[in-house]
Amino acid sequence: MKAVRLAHRNSKQKIVLYIFFVIVAFFFLFPILWTLSLSLKTIPELFEIPPSILPKTFTGIGNYLYVISNYGITGSLLNSLYITLWTVIGCLTVTLPAAYAFSRMKFKFSSQIQFIILMFQMISPLVIVIPLYKYYSSLNLLNSFTGLITIYIAISAPFQVWFLKGFLDTIPKELDEASIIDGCSRLQTLIKVLIPIISPGVLSSVLLISIMSWSQFIVPYILIDSPAKMPISVRLLNLQSSLTNITTHYLAAASIIAIFPTVLLFVFLQKYIVSAMTAGSVKG
Amino acid sequence: MLPSATISAATRKKSLSYGLWRISQGPVLWLIPLALVLVTFFLYPALEVVRISFTNSDMISNTYHYTFNSYIRMFTDASFYNMIWITFFFVSFSVIFQFLLGFIIALTVDKGEHLRMKGTVVARTVALVSWSIPGVVIGIIWNILYNESPSGIINYLISFVGIGPVPFFTSPVIALFAISVANVWRGTAQSMILLYAGLKTIPMDVIEAANVDGANSWRKLLSVIIPSIRPVIVINILLNIINTFNTFDMIMSLTGGGPGRSTEVLVLSSYTTIFQLLDLGKGSAIAVLLLLINVVMSVIYIRISKEGVST
Repeated sequence: MKAVRLAHRNSKQKIVLYIFFVIVAFFFLFPILWTLSLSLKTIPELFEIPPSILPKTFTGIGNYLYVISNYGITGSLLNSLYITLWTVIGCLTVTLPAAYAFSRMKFKFSSQIQFIILMFQMISPLVIVIPLYKYYSSLNLLNSFTGLITIYIAISAPFQVWFLKGFLDTIPKELDEASIIDGCSRLQTLIKVLIPIISPGVLSSVLLISIMSWSQFIVPYILIDSPAKMPISVRLLNLQSSLTNITTHYLAAASIIAIFPTVLLFVFLQKYIVSAMTAGSVKG
Repeated sequence: MLPSATISAATRKKSLSYGLWRISQGPVLWLIPLALVLVTFFLYPALEVVRISFTNSDMISNTYHYTFNSYIRMFTDASFYNMIWITFFFVSFSVIFQFLLGFIIALTVDKGEHLRMKGTVVARTVALVSWSIPGVVIGIIWNILYNESPSGIINYLISFVGIGPVPFFTSPVIALFAISVANVWRGTAQSMILLYAGLKTIPMDVIEAANVDGANSWRKLLSVIIPSIRPVIVINILLNIINTFNTFDMIMSLTGGGPGRSTEVLVLSSYTTIFQLLDLGKGSAIAVLLLLINVVMSVIYIRISKEGVST
């Protein structure tokens, strides 16, 4: 009897939960799906009342071709890709050795230094970009990818040091010792022994840095004004301010193109990203 | 003791590489790249903003003198207090609802997993997707959704319950609500995932003990679940406060600070003052205020994480 009642209670709970999940899915997916739908509509369909949920024809695919060939989207995507790639490489080059030192060496003020690094993570990029604008303009570094990438590296570094240190901490020190007895230097140990073991962690790092640098806005918005050098985020804002109501479908198409890479990465590699998002704030 | 002449070149070379080896055993060499990057692109600019805020310098000329003028103008500007209120509302509204919504989703996803429900992973993924979308695009998407014309989808949908059309972008108060709701959509993912991970750390026997005691769900939530994940809750709220204070991209593409200056939060205000009104001193003073908030929040954050480490 009790088991039956329990099963009954469970199925009632399940129904309530399913209804809730549907509401959640609607709230979070609808804005994206609506944008997707708009991106495939024709101009008359944009102004239809009542608005139709789905586009009626597939001629809307043409919107994407139009956007790609007319608004310099491809160039901006390539700019973002280039910046992201170098930010990932640069950031790992800077943070892996530091993470190694914090994980493997005992020295004075180690934990204090780590907390100061954490503090940098909380500082708004606007604060640092104000003086950098002035200096970049005197150094002729405005509109320069190098200028941008170095700042991106600095912005993502604090979190990555903590994140990678967390992964290194999980590897027993005996492994290092064995490798050093085998005649490896510390650097060789890091590269040949430790990094391969924490490769899932490094992959999470790569994803996190990539999404961060793809989304970065305020820094390039201030430091880049040449259209040819704009990353996708700045290009979209430019597009938005130059387009009017009549071209909402183009703006929607451009937005979908811009979020496609990061959303795709997220959905397929969410296991890694979820571990990254929770790192540091939850123990155990 | 050896006479110095007997130290051969080989020994000296050996001692050089020994010296390098010695250095590589210490942390300095390993930390230099990071230190260079952080000092050049964080520490130095942050201190520089503070210095600039005490000068009358502008973007072009190189002559300046030190003055409190920027701060005096900031604090005597009536619109400054309005901006503070706007920021305060934006941050509180966002953080409260990001937390509540994130917590409810985390609890239900966790429950769904216990009941082995299909589709739980899908619900979890969907709730997190917004996190991977650039802020500028989130602003553009919500700008499209809030469209004030009758073909604007939100206005169309709420017309069924007899509301509207709502002037999302022309009414100052509604615009402020509109950016806050969009920000809840954006930031709930972070809350949800942290709290979800927190729930996973509660030992099963604690929950079972509460079940044996016959505690109902509400009682379990208040006296078992919330106390067990209290540190996670506090850290999550702090992170949300910091993220919301630093929000710029989404508002820029959603309202651009308008109508008038009714959605101009702290970061936007600093940006506009410097790059549109070309008032570097006053804009930097506002940025220093933002920096101060950032630092205070991170000090609290660090204190709490340290407690978490020691217990």
